Parts: sequence; structure tokens; C-alpha cells
Amino acid sequence: MKNPAIIGQSIPRLDAPSKVTGKAIYTDDMKLPGMLYGKLLRSPLAHARIKRIDVSKAKALPGVKDVIVGADTPGVKYGNWRLVPQSQDELPLAVDKVRFVGDEVAAVCALDPETAEKALGLIEVEYEELPAILSVEEATAEGAGLIHQESKGNVSLVRKIDYGDLDQMFAKADYVREDTFRVHPVQHAYMEPCSSLAQTEEGNRVTLWTSTQTPYIVQCLLASTLGLPENNVRVMKVQIGGGFGGKMELRPWEFCAAFMSLRTGRPVKFTLTRHDELAYGRRRHPMTIYSKVGFKKDGMLLAKDFQVMLDGGAYNAMGPTATFLCGTFGNMLYNYPAYRYFGRHVYTNKPPASAMRGFGAPQAAFAAETQMNMAAEELGIDPIDIRLMNAMQTGDVIPDVATISSCGFKESLEEVRRISGWDQKRKNKTPGKGLGIGCFSFISGGVFNWFNTKYNFSAAEVKVFEDGTAQLAVMACDIGQGPDTVLRQILAAELGIPIHKIRLISMDTACTPKADLGTWGSRVTLMNGNAIIEAAGKIKAMLRPVMFSELDLNQIHDLAFEDERVFVRANPKKGMDFAECVYKALRGREGEPLTARGYYTPRNKGLVSPAFSFGAQVAEVAVDQDTGQIQVEKMYTAHDCGVAINKMSVEGQLEGAIQMGLGYALMEDLVMDDQGRTLNTTFLDYKMPAAEDMPPGESVEIETYEPEGPFGAKEAGEGLAIPTAPAISHAVFEAVGYRCMETPITPEKVLRALGKIK
Amino acid sequence: MMMPHFTVHQPDSLEEALDLLGRHRSSVKVFCGGTDLLIKMRSGALSPDHLVSLTRVKGLRTISYAESDGLVIGGAARLAEVGKNAEVKKLYPALAHACSVMATVQIRNMGTVAGNLANAAPSGDTLAPLLAYGASLVAVERGGRRQIKLTDFFTGPGLNVLEPLEIIEAIRVPDPPPRCGSAYMRLSARSKVDIAAVGVAGFMNLDLDGKVIRCRLALASVAPTPVRCPEAEAMLEGQKPDDTLLAQAGAACVRACRPIDDVRATASYRRAMVQALAQRVLAKCYAQAAGGEA
Repeated sequence: MKNPAIIGQSIPRLDAPSKVTGKAIYTDDMKLPGMLYGKLLRSPLAHARIKRIDVSKAKALPGVKDVIVGADTPGVKYGNWRLVPQSQDELPLAVDKVRFVGDEVAAVCALDPETAEKALGLIEVEYEELPAILSVEEATAEGAGLIHQESKGNVSLVRKIDYGDLDQMFAKADYVREDTFRVHPVQHAYMEPCSSLAQTEEGNRVTLWTSTQTPYIVQCLLASTLGLPENNVRVMKVQIGGGFGGKMELRPWEFCAAFMSLRTGRPVKFTLTRHDELAYGRRRHPMTIYSKVGFKKDGMLLAKDFQVMLDGGAYNAMGPTATFLCGTFGNMLYNYPAYRYFGRHVYTNKPPASAMRGFGAPQAAFAAETQMNMAAEELGIDPIDIRLMNAMQTGDVIPDVATISSCGFKESLEEVRRISGWDQKRKNKTPGKGLGIGCFSFISGGVFNWFNTKYNFSAAEVKVFEDGTAQLAVMACDIGQGPDTVLRQILAAELGIPIHKIRLISMDTACTPKADLGTWGSRVTLMNGNAIIEAAGKIKAMLRPVMFSELDLNQIHDLAFEDERVFVRANPKKGMDFAECVYKALRGREGEPLTARGYYTPRNKGLVSPAFSFGAQVAEVAVDQDTGQIQVEKMYTAHDCGVAINKMSVEGQLEGAIQMGLGYALMEDLVMDDQGRTLNTTFLDYKMPAAEDMPPGESVEIETYEPEGPFGAKEAGEGLAIPTAPAISHAVFEAVGYRCMETPITPEKVLRALGKIK
Repeated sequence: MMMPHFTVHQPDSLEEALDLLGRHRSSVKVFCGGTDLLIKMRSGALSPDHLVSLTRVKGLRTISYAESDGLVIGGAARLAEVGKNAEVKKLYPALAHACSVMATVQIRNMGTVAGNLANAAPSGDTLAPLLAYGASLVAVERGGRRQIKLTDFFTGPGLNVLEPLEIIEAIRVPDPPPRCGSAYMRLSARSKVDIAAVGVAGFMNLDLDGKVIRCRLALASVAPTPVRCPEAEAMLEGQKPDDTLLAQAGAACVRACRPIDDVRATASYRRAMVQALAQRVLAKCYAQAAGGEA
């Protein structure tokens, strides 16, 4: 199938110039007349009962306009998993109890931020401290105190997957190994700390500008927590400075801004600091992963038993989905005749973990890919060969989960072997240097409707005008990943008009078509792209009669839309300008504009996702054996994202993913003390790789055509963040013999393994 | 969180700057690059009513070298300027290296060497190289000038012997003798753009037989202040270094440090790194000195 020329082009982001010149408007840039500044009072304790709160001194401070505590709010619990109401465990402000250091206890708004800050210091809270539970082991131990009374032994959710005869397969295995891995927490560290600004009108309507990935979810949950009809809440577009999964829920400051705006009748803004984000913000789940795997001696996989405890922190957040996906990605890449997953999401008195780029998959892959390398080593099989032998292919079925409709995994393995010089370098090993491999698969959007939306998963509205331009309205949000450009490319390809002739209205819950579940799970290009194609098809159907009557076409003729013209495909000379065609179509419609809507909801696509990406990555590292310092010298990647709509965007995703993977493997870690307080709350001590640390890279895109995706596309956003850590870990093992079972891989751990420090 | 109001004074001369300091003595700070000071003001740790800026003081930003005087770094000379100075690069490579790798490009372009010393963070990257070079600084106040040896300057984390109304006018580094070598090496969790978790600086010069006449070693980030290693230095002086001796000197350096466990590294890792880096630094100094390089 031949795609239009604009598909696959490297078009620079349309929002890039305003962002790099500092002109783009983010929520915190906005000021409204009469606006108040909000601040949150947070719990200093990890686990405590609130005995008394006295806000009278804070209220009396001149300049303070409102102070609220949990008891002042409607007290409606919320959470993204509306389908399972008992999973909704969060309140905007704590009532009776605090569950982590940073749990929101009260909110203040004042004429200026300094006064608001000062007022926080005047709020008196008396706590009765409870024992803090800071690990999944403590939380699930017999007799452990309950963080939420409703939970069974602090386990908030269990996910099981079970197919094939596990016992029989393990009995058949020639080689069985059992390992336990521990992975640590890291943070999204998006460039824009969260900010929300609310304004009320007509007493009980509220408009919220907020740094979110999921405007529709925020609209719904904000309405329910405020006790307002959904239609009274409007969530609106601003620029979003990154999210990576950390901004996909209703958050307390969004509620507080709206609620205090309703109470005071004035706009209210809350903006978090970097300290707030690092100390109290969402993070990637730490996990304890037990994995038992069985092989035939020739390397064929037979069975896997994968048991995971996710350290969820104080609330569910997006933990349930991470629990599901961790199980899905525990076996995704390879064919397992039998597989069992037992995942438990466990409450602890720590800041809640949630979605973060890969959503349970980076952790699962770290364990699964590392174990694959350990097995290859012991079976005496090349790590790439053992993967090729077991690799998932197009048409493969994972029982109850998915059917793989396109898969370039084997090609990715072959290509990464070639570009990295794998065979050659493994033959001629240099001491202290090594190559390691990690692989991934990821979803292109989720199928499981945990939000319980009554609308389609994605929707688009297209209007065309007689001047040859178009307008695209979608609720999808560009949080920096690029859909504002990519979605216009898709419409431009469909209508045959240039991208700059398309005005985009996005992310406004009041005037973009209902609905879109937001930016997460790498869903936007596939799902919204499909909705746009459907809407564009309807527009084209409206233009058809004009063409057929004006040009007296035969029933057998087919129309093409290219280069701002509409013409007979078999005879391109026969046609007219797109603008003229729209102009003619408008006549006789009694002024009714040419508007069409398209929708997409995956159906009959299993439980997980309509399409899966695949890929393989090789890391080349050098380890200094005296200092333990690890230098990643080069990254080689081969991946299958279907048809890349915008190649430059895909490259950007790859580079960003390597940066995050590098940080996850080697540097980033949220360090906590025994009171549940985070110790490294600045970028000085939360170590992220900087530009100078980025290794050079080489990559190959394996182009497959995904039948379910727009123009054959599937995800390229999150999957690439998965393989880097296991690849680096494997490379370190090859270089110096240290196998990391507990991330991150630090120089200290390397030296300990080498016996150089005690 | 928010910075309170304050007044910035921008005098043209040192005399004027000293007058301003005196006039606002109850709440005043010397300001130049601002890379440490403004962070402390933003966090609320400091809230002076007045800042006396040295950025316009004439002559304070010069970097000059003469065989007779050695190197003189003006109190307002920026880290990046020192790091890029041709004579510093040639004659004081450990200092040039520290000035070109510490912090970030933006901070190096704004921050000053004098400010790095005044801030007295044990992790400050220019501290150890300057100690290894036997540097001293010239402090000036309205009453007059005094020269302070860098070895006597630091008294604790963030603490030094500077009086509140004193300004660092210059840093003086002796002229390197013939047959000498020097080096600075640092480690952090993030290999490039980062604060040092361990730093070691060394200086060595040899006699015509290749024996060590003088050696100075200084350690950063492994004690409440940067520290010298007299035991290791004495061990090397009068000797022809070999690998065994360098390893022993490295072990002596470990005895000189008093590291702590913190989020940047554990004490035991820091000790091991003092050993490893000291050996490397000494080997590099020796090679340079023996090769006749300055």
C-alpha cells in the first residue's frame, strides 16, 4: 500500500519555535485579574491520625482569602479506575488520616504567594503518629497495620494471568531457574512542574487550565468531587511541559484551585515547585519480582511463573493498570507454552507510584530480559539466538490477551546484531568492555476501559472551508510528544492539503468532540489518527456528489485528494481545486458548514491493545575497574513502530527514551530515610543524565504495516524506554562480570561485586 | 521561596565597594556571579537587605601571570575565563581542568573562582587544585589587606576565616618550578555535569635525578573542608616514585580523609576512590614532571 507523501516525512514540530524561544504559554505563565495564589499544607509524617486542625490564625492573616481542610470539602473519593469503584481511594485533602510524607492536609489562597506560604505556617495540626510501613514486605507481613481499612492486608488489587499447564511444562524442562529482582523508584522529572488555574463563572461553572495529560478524566473526576454536573467543568488547552505518565489523574491542587475559586469567586492558581515534585510527586513503581523460567536444553522456552509485588505507595493512582501491564509484559516478547502471573499492588506509606513511560513494562522487562541473558549464558547459547528461537511473530496469539497483527521483532534482532557488530565484538572481547542486549514490546493504546467511559476512546471533528483550509478539533493532548503535528499530518494526507492550512483546536473539553481518554499508553497516534481518518472519509463523501455531477463521472471512477486538488484517480487532469470543490459543495446546504465527526474505539482486539510495537537494543559499555564508573559508549537500536508518520518525532522519542533508560539504569533514584522522607529533592542530587552524558547512537526502523493503525502506524513513545536498562545491565555483566539484580547499577555495587570495597 | 526586596549596589572601585559594605554592615553580602548566593537567597537561607556587586569594579576581573609573581586571579574572574586562559592551561593544568568541568556551562560563565573559595563547600572543584598549588588569597577591608594561605582558610562546611566586610581581591598561585606536574580528578554519579562526590588534586616537582622535591595533595568532598595529605606528601618527598610507593601514598591519603555517607556516595566508596584517584593523580603528575612538562 502506498502512503501519501506527507506520511513519513520529518516535519519539525509546529509548536517547536514558540517553545524554544520561550514564547509558549504554560499554565503558570497565566495571570487573571483578581487571581489568588494557592499553597498546600502537607503532612510531615508518613502515617498518622489527624487529631485536630486549627486554621483560625491562618484565616486571620491579612491577605488570606480562603483556607480549607478535608472537612470543608464534599469528601468524594476519586481515582481513575471508575470501573472498580472500591479502587477509588483518594481524597483531595486528607480526612482523619495521612498516609505519606506530603499527603495534602490543607490549602490556602491569598493575594500573593508569600502571604499564602506564611499562612501555611500558621495552621496548627495535631497528629497521632502511627507506625510507618515503608516496604511491601512489611506491608504484607502478618499482623501489619492497615494503611486503608478497606484493603485486605494492604493489597489493593490482584491480577492473575494463567494459561497452559505450568506444572507439566516445568516437569518437561531441562533447565529451570528462579531469580528475584528488585527495581527502584524513579521520577518523570518533566520540565514543567504541575500547575493549575481555575476560574468560575455564573456561580457554579468552572474553567480549569491545567498541566494534564488527560483533560477528559480531569473533567469527569473534578465534577464528581465538586458535586457538579460534568458539563459545568471545562478543562482547557495550555502548553504542557512533559508528562510521561505523571500527569494523568485528577490531582489535589486541581481540585483545590477549582473548589476555592468556587468559594471565593476569584481565579485561583496553584503551582508546585521542583522540591514538591521530587519529594511528594508520582513515580515509577518499585517492584519485587520473582521469576521462575523453564527451557528445553536447546533453548526453547516452556514455562514462566512471574510473581510481582508492586510498591504502590499510599494510594492506587494508576497502579492497577501498571499491575495489569507488568503481567502482560512479563511474557510479551516470546512464546511461552505456559505462563502464570500473580501481581499484587501493595499499599505503603510512601508517595504514590503511578504510570511512568512504559507503565509496568520497564520493570517486567528488566527482570525478564536479564533472566533471558542469564539462561542464555548457562545454556551456552548466544543471547540473540535464544531470542530468535522464541521470538513472537505476526499472527501469534497470547491467550486471552491479544493477537499480534504486525511484528518486526525477529528483523529487529537481526538488524541490531548487524549494526552493533555483535558477533565480531563478542569473539574479540576487550577486558572492561561489553555488549548487552535488551528487547521490548509495547501497546498502542489500551483496550480495557477502566475509566468506564460512555463515549468513544477517541474522536475527531473536521470542518472544511471554501478557501481550501480545514479545522481539526480533537480532545487529544500534546504534552510534548508531538500529536499536534502528527495528527495534522494525518488529516493533511487524507484531504490532500498542506499541513499549514489546517487549524487545530485541541484539548478543550467544552468544544472538542467527546471524548478522548488522553495521552497515555502510547495511544494518541493510533486511536486519534483512526478517528481523523473516519471524519475525513465522511468529508470526502460529502464532496463526491459535487465531483460526479460537475464532471459527469462514471460510477466506476475513483477520486483522489492530492496537492490541494480533487481529481479522477485514473485521469488526474480531470478534476478541480479542493477549495472550489468545497465551495460548490456548500451551495444548497442552507448555510450548513461541511463538518464531520469520526470516532475510534478498539473492538475485538483482545483485552490489552489493538497493536504492539517491538524492538531490540544493544548497549556498548566500558567499565573502569578501579572506580566502578560505567561509560555507555554507544547505543544500537532496531525497532518496529509500524509506519512512522513523522520520522523526526520518532527519532526524538528514541533519543529521549535512551536518556530516561540511561538514568533508570545508572543514576536516578529517589533516596528515602527510615521515616519515609525523600532525601534528594533537587536536580543537584536527583541525578539525571544531561546532554553531555548522552551516548552516540545508531538506529534502524523496521518498517511493518500495522493493519489497525492509521497509514500502518503504531506506537513509538513508550516502548523504547523499556530495553535500555536491561541492555546496559547485560553489557556491564559482559564487561566485568557483575550481574545487577537490584537496580540501579551504581559504581559502588560494581566495586563490591569485584571485591574492591566491602 | 520568593525573594524579599533588596538593593543592589554596583560600585566602580574597590574603595567604593568597601565603603558600601561598611555603610550597610548590618545586612550586606558581597555579590559577583551569584551562582551560590542567589540560590541561598531564593531558599530563604540568606536574606541580606543589600548586595554589593563586584561586577563593575575595575581591574578585579583580570587574570595575570608573571614568572616573578606567579598567577594572580582577580576576585571577579569567572570560572570559565580562568579555565580558558592560555597560561593557566599551560602552567596550572589541574586548575584549568577544574574550572572547565565543574558545574554547568552557565554556572562556569557566571561563577567566580573567588566565590567558589568563599562559598567553602567541601565539594567546590577549584579548592583542591588551588591547595595543591600552594595558593593563598588576598583579602581586603577598609582597614587594609592581608594575605591568607589557603591551608588556613577553610574552617568547616561553608565556613572560612573571611571577615564579614572583607572582599577577596585576588588569588595568588606561585610560579610552577621546573620539572613539575599537576592534575585534578573528580568522580560523581553522573559522569559529566555534576557536583563531585570525590575529588583529588596533586602537584609534584622533581630534581634532576627524578626524585620528588615537593609534593602536595588535596582532597575534596571527603571531609568537612578540603584537606591536604601531609603523610602522603612526606612519604613521596626525596623518593623516586614507583607503583608500590604510589599505592602506599594513596593509602596515606585515605587516612587523611573523613568522609561521610550521604545521598551522593557512601563513606566506604569515597575512601576507595581517594585511593584510586590519588594513585592516578600522582602517576599523572609524575609523568608530566618527568617528561619535563610544566
